[in-house]
Amino acid sequence: MTSPGASALRTPQGRIVERMSRLPTLPASVARLQAAINDSRSTAADVETAIRPDAALTTNLLRMANSPFFGMPRKVESVKQAVMILGTRRVYEATLSAAFARVIPKRLPGYELEAAEFWLHCVGGAILSERLARAAMGRAPELIFTAGLLHDVGKLVIGSVLGDEPGQLQGSLAGSGATLLGAERALLETTHAEVGGLVCDRWQLPTPISLAARWHHAPSAAPAGVDRSLVDLVHVANDLAHLLGFGTDAGELQRTIDEAAVRRLGLSVKQAEEVAAGAVEHIQQLAELFAGAAAEKGDR
Amino acid sequence: MLRVDSRVQCQPTPIAARQIVVDIADLQVTSDPSSVLVTFALGSCIAVIVHDPIRLLGGMIHYMLPLSSASPDKAAQKPAMFADTGIPMLFEQLYALGARKQDLVVKVAGGGTLHDDKGIFNIGQRNYTVLRKLFWKNNVLIAKEDVGGTKSRTARLFVGDGRVTITSQSVEVEL
Repeated sequence: MTSPGASALRTPQGRIVERMSRLPTLPASVARLQAAINDSRSTAADVETAIRPDAALTTNLLRMANSPFFGMPRKVESVKQAVMILGTRRVYEATLSAAFARVIPKRLPGYELEAAEFWLHCVGGAILSERLARAAMGRAPELIFTAGLLHDVGKLVIGSVLGDEPGQLQGSLAGSGATLLGAERALLETTHAEVGGLVCDRWQLPTPISLAARWHHAPSAAPAGVDRSLVDLVHVANDLAHLLGFGTDAGELQRTIDEAAVRRLGLSVKQAEEVAAGAVEHIQQLAELFAGAAAEKGDR
Repeated sequence: MLRVDSRVQCQPTPIAARQIVVDIADLQVTSDPSSVLVTFALGSCIAVIVHDPIRLLGGMIHYMLPLSSASPDKAAQKPAMFADTGIPMLFEQLYALGARKQDLVVKVAGGGTLHDDKGIFNIGQRNYTVLRKLFWKNNVLIAKEDVGGTKSRTARLFVGDGRVTITSQSVEVEL
């Protein structure tokens, strides 16, 4: 007789739950950092205390912080220095980037995606979300960079499940006129967006980040109470990243754009082009740092 | 009819070919007939692929946006980011290698669009329109093209024989 566990693994939902449970967690230092930042009494020293025990993460955080994207006026040598010069928000973003880079597997088989390409797309999502926010709203909302960075985290799980039967996603996309999301739902009864929201919850990330992942393909369908501008920005940034070729997967350009989201943001195609022109170099520079993070992972 | 250099035809296999990668917002020209120019992940971006079959020269640009007026600063640093600054530069660099305009074979790939874009984010279309205007003004004919649609494309130019291939959705076709 088959055990219930084994039979559950035959269903798509069962396999998704199982793969999600196998997904690495973010280092404890990320949660400590989040707590330190949320506490208004925290000092730069408290932030340093939260991260410093994790030597590999500290190294990668400093590598990220010293990349041209973060615009350091001089080289930072310590977490404390990074906090004082960049501020806690940028340090959180750089730490989460460094931590996230380390949990990406070498390959996302179901999407025919190599780690470097996936990372390029994540970094593209982060930087474009932030810059689109500045162009559309004149400011960058608190969690915009992180929401952009993690919007596709569900692909880590879905890619692993789809990888059990190589080529099935391409097969269902080829010549069908289906979108990537439609193909995912037809195969697995869920999407990388829905699963992405669950992964963010599992990683105990702030709720707006998990909601941005959950709704980044359908911002207008997000329920009341969701930070709509955050979701709209991540949606548009995701499409723009794919259009510009930053980490395209098996779905290629078979994705939708929500006109209402673009209208709500008041973005013109010219503004989007200006954002793209200004972002490309930083995206490439930050993406290259992945090689460093991956090397650290291999050393462990 | 003048065909490819016999030395190139005698090469047994393309395995030894030197791959020259053309990044996004980048252009490359070469006079090395054993080389292959390649660019990846053309979404709304466009690759202009130029070959001089007589002198065995090749050039490729992967431009991102139509007009340098979007960011004159970036255009000064990276002219290949834009159609209006990059495409003339591609031709100039080929002429500097000895190419002659009347011999050039020009192919175009990319300019893709999202599934249901009704003109909101039509960067691909805009990229193509500016290209056509530039070519019309300068009497440049497009020999072959593979543009538009929801594809992401990888383009290769085999400089030795001028062959161009486009790979999309895991299928490679000759252009």
